[in-house]
Amino acid sequence: MNSVIFLTIVLLALSSYFFGRKKAILIQSNKRLTALPKFYGYYLAIWCGAPAFLLYALWSIFEPSIVRFFILSDYSSQGLLEGELNLFYEKVKSLSRNQYSGELTAELQRSAEKYLNFRDIAKWSKVVIVLSLLIASTGYAYTKISNNTKTREPVEIFLKGVFFLSSLAAILTTIGIIFSLLFQTIEFFQVIPLFDFVFGMHWYPAKAFVRDASEALDPSMYSDTFGAVPIFAGTFFIALIAMCVAIPIGLLSGIYMAEYASKRLRQYAKPVIEILAGIPTVVYGFFAALTVGPFLKDLGLSLGLEVSAESALAAGGVMGIMIIPFISSLSDDVITSVPQNLRDGSYAMGATKSETIKRVIIPAALPGIVGSILLGVSRAIGETMIVVMASGLAANLTLNPLESTSTITAQIVVILIGDQQFGDPKTQAAFALGLSLFIVTLVLNIVALSVVKKYREKYE
Amino acid sequence: MNKEERLIKRYKAEKRFRFYGKAAIFMALLFLVVFLTKIFSTGYTAFQKTWLVIPVNYNADLLYLDPDKKPTTEDINDADFYEFGIETFITLDPDASEDQIMELKKMFAFTFERELKYYLLDNPDSFGKTVDVKLTASDDLDQVFKGNYPRDIPENRRRASDYQLKIFDKLNEDGRVISEFNASFFTNADSREAELAGIASSFMGSLFSILVCLSIAFPVALLAAVYLEEFAPKNRFTDFIEVNINNLAAVPSIVFGLLGLGVLLAVFGLPRSTPLVGGITLSLMTLPTIIIAARASLKAVPPSIREAALAMGASRMQTTMHHTVPLALPGTLSGTIIGLAQALGETAPLILIGMVAFVNTIPGTPMDPAASLPVQIYIWAESAERGFVEKVSACIMVLLFFLIFMNLGAQLIRHKFEKKWN
Amino acid sequence: MNKIEAKNVDVYYGAKQALFDINMDIEANKVTALIGPSGCGKSTFLRCLNRMNDVIDICKVSGVVKINDYDINQKDTDVVRLREKVGMIFQKPNPFPKTIYENISYGPEIHGIAQSKSEMDNIVEESLRKAALWEEVKDRIHEPGTGLSGGQQQRLCIARTISIKPEVILMDEPCSALDPIATAQIEELIDELRKEHTIIIVTHSMSQAARVSQNTGFFHLGKLIEVGSTDKIFKNPTQQQTQDYITGRFG
Repeated sequence: MNSVIFLTIVLLALSSYFFGRKKAILIQSNKRLTALPKFYGYYLAIWCGAPAFLLYALWSIFEPSIVRFFILSDYSSQGLLEGELNLFYEKVKSLSRNQYSGELTAELQRSAEKYLNFRDIAKWSKVVIVLSLLIASTGYAYTKISNNTKTREPVEIFLKGVFFLSSLAAILTTIGIIFSLLFQTIEFFQVIPLFDFVFGMHWYPAKAFVRDASEALDPSMYSDTFGAVPIFAGTFFIALIAMCVAIPIGLLSGIYMAEYASKRLRQYAKPVIEILAGIPTVVYGFFAALTVGPFLKDLGLSLGLEVSAESALAAGGVMGIMIIPFISSLSDDVITSVPQNLRDGSYAMGATKSETIKRVIIPAALPGIVGSILLGVSRAIGETMIVVMASGLAANLTLNPLESTSTITAQIVVILIGDQQFGDPKTQAAFALGLSLFIVTLVLNIVALSVVKKYREKYE
Repeated sequence: MNKEERLIKRYKAEKRFRFYGKAAIFMALLFLVVFLTKIFSTGYTAFQKTWLVIPVNYNADLLYLDPDKKPTTEDINDADFYEFGIETFITLDPDASEDQIMELKKMFAFTFERELKYYLLDNPDSFGKTVDVKLTASDDLDQVFKGNYPRDIPENRRRASDYQLKIFDKLNEDGRVISEFNASFFTNADSREAELAGIASSFMGSLFSILVCLSIAFPVALLAAVYLEEFAPKNRFTDFIEVNINNLAAVPSIVFGLLGLGVLLAVFGLPRSTPLVGGITLSLMTLPTIIIAARASLKAVPPSIREAALAMGASRMQTTMHHTVPLALPGTLSGTIIGLAQALGETAPLILIGMVAFVNTIPGTPMDPAASLPVQIYIWAESAERGFVEKVSACIMVLLFFLIFMNLGAQLIRHKFEKKWN
Repeated sequence: MNKIEAKNVDVYYGAKQALFDINMDIEANKVTALIGPSGCGKSTFLRCLNRMNDVIDICKVSGVVKINDYDINQKDTDVVRLREKVGMIFQKPNPFPKTIYENISYGPEIHGIAQSKSEMDNIVEESLRKAALWEEVKDRIHEPGTGLSGGQQQRLCIARTISIKPEVILMDEPCSALDPIATAQIEELIDELRKEHTIIIVTHSMSQAARVSQNTGFFHLGKLIEVGSTDKIFKNPTQQQTQDYITGRFG
């Protein structure tokens, strides 16, 4: 039914375009128009489609909750819990679709009938009201059209409004992220003290298995369960290992590309290295888990070292490879934008190329390089699949790169894979971790971007 | 130290520095080569499938059918091919014990019933005759045949028993083990059995997700970029939007997964595990990438074009729609394709919205539960069976193929259609 | 009656004042040249006449500019209508990256001037003829306009402008990017166009002003120092500054 209404609106809007244009052409035969006839068409089409569509959309969004309110209002006096009402309502819905296979009660039956009845009324009143609004608005606009109606301006204002709404999408996304993270996190901290989360040394979310709702709210259930220190430590430790790989290789290859490489090498090697950035992280994860992990383990065995198959070194090392291109191409850009006269000054003093690079160019480009490294760190902290697949899932507090450890992202996945139950502290813990991840990466990005921006402005 | 010595030292330092740079580039390239070789060398065998060709006697008695009457399709469909299969396998070794019969059965994929039935349905003339039928080998034997599985380790640590290997070798000597292009890898949905698992379901999942992502992200991003670049007044609010977009582009992808879970599933109640939700989540992630690309292309259109149109009496909107946007379209499109390629390789957010469910049917609409190619890689990589290792690599090869294809497409659009301004 | 009358026009770029109290009348069907050293505000003044300064966010214009006795600086002035009547040629030729035909048909199309394909064909041909470009491009009017030489591109822009028959044509140093031969062609064209259009041309070349214009205004540091017939300005200026500029003592 919904798609029928939608299609009707679209079709009527399309045809009113032609009506509007036709009327304009008729007027044109003896009076001069203020805009091209097609604008009269658009004008009428917008008046026809937009109000009706808006009402249709709002109605569709609010109808379910209004129907739910009416059905459940019969039971509101019985002092049922929110969860029980939900369950009852789900039963009513499945019964109305003839998919219910539980115990039938008279209440249920009555409500299901009422539900069907309401849905029917709602459906038909929606059709009637939407269509009458459509006819009314179209008629109003049609009678308004004359030779000196302004049509181009309203059409353009309408379009501009649509454009403006689109530009809000990014802000809405950010609000959505903050809303979803914050909401769950606040609930989490109502059960788990903030102090325990930030300074707790033990992370065993699997221990937080609760049997019923009364236990879920008992903080004593979770002592020593949600201490995030091992997770934060593991995250920064793996990121550190990654940067130990990525910074020297990325920076040196960036410098070589910018200062030494021939045009040919630049032309071919640069895009090839950038392929590393385009490989999906799940592929790196597979590579780390299948090849690098066992390889390090065997290597360790032959050296008499005990290396976990899921060592932090394997995950961090492979993550480092992934980050090489980010650092190399950003630092390449930054170094290339150092003005030539600085180089000339140094060469004219008889400095060699490497001396010029080390003493003049790198100091000049330092803010940009630092910015690119910070962006790399932010990527390392937010990287998920490599750690999920190649590093351990148990949160050990360790500084030995040969042991396994876990990260924020890996824990989020571990907790949320499979069926989640909202309202469970374990699920909320994942959102709390997500919020910490969001804040850390946001701060890193803001700092990095502002450093790079300042640097650019200096030389432009 | 005199001047000469110093100079020699300085030149040595120069050489060393240059060497470090070269070594770094070499290392980066080496990683790529090792990486790709590893994937290809473990993956290419997955495109081959091992079949065992065994003589089958479609005897009426064995099938409990009337020997004098040609069986109808319905008769065949109702017949019991499990017992029939067991009887057929016994012919490979008539002296087999009870246990050995079970081992014989395990040499074949569990689909042998269906394969025997379909052969008879396709070739009704073979009723009552003995014919050679091609049956899918179990993944253990498949791996043995491809040499991925060592035979020399003790029997108790091996999945294929000595007995199975003996029978297998005999069949192989008779030329009854054949290896053919593995079409089912592309046409089958996921399966718990490695030899039957295919990427069709996850491919469709990816396709639907990407289509949903494209149809949301491209128009919204283009319009947003046009607004910000062509219409927005320069004030605090637009600065805020701009900062917002730049930061959104660097938010870790898993956070978008949490957004999908916390808002799309929990608040809006959209169906879990579906490409619809996956696509919406990915579109929110891709949005900033496309907006940034589109704004860059709009910025690259010289102001003189806008002035020319305005001076001709075109309104702002007409100038934008007739001139600026068409000129910025190639750059926007190529940015869109690159954004979609990123979305195609994304795994973590899809895991969080439940697209890791085991799906053994091929989804027909974006509203059906599905996995996606990268998630399929994750699922297979996590499963213990040896046969999945090559499948993972093969799936990676397919995914990389699409990514390379998309990136080349983006390059092509940029080079071919983008106007160069001097 | 004067075609254009500017009264007390002030222009600000942000906090910086670019034009100070300009009062100037421009006669119909004559070429008026605006001269002066670079940065003196002559282009800014030109852009006041079709409100192209609206494009620049920080630019504020006050005062009265009357065209055909109608003040174009009123709030409810439709700039689209205004620019249909007042065309503009820019310093650097800026043809649309489309075909020659599409370049010219664009104006008539958005203003709904041509009702049919053949009518449009006529407009295109007529405009190209008037811009003295028809003979050179008639065999390739469906090829990109950006493939023409600089002088041809500028004549294409002129053809594009006159396709909608504006009453006034503003020219912002139209020859500064062109070689002497192309310049001569454009100058010849300007003289031709004067029959049907009122032309205001900003130029940095005094000899060009002397060659093409009937009236001249001299701008300096955002002020209109002197305005009058070209003969008088060049031969017998009343202001010392004008005298100094004409004789090449500064600028």
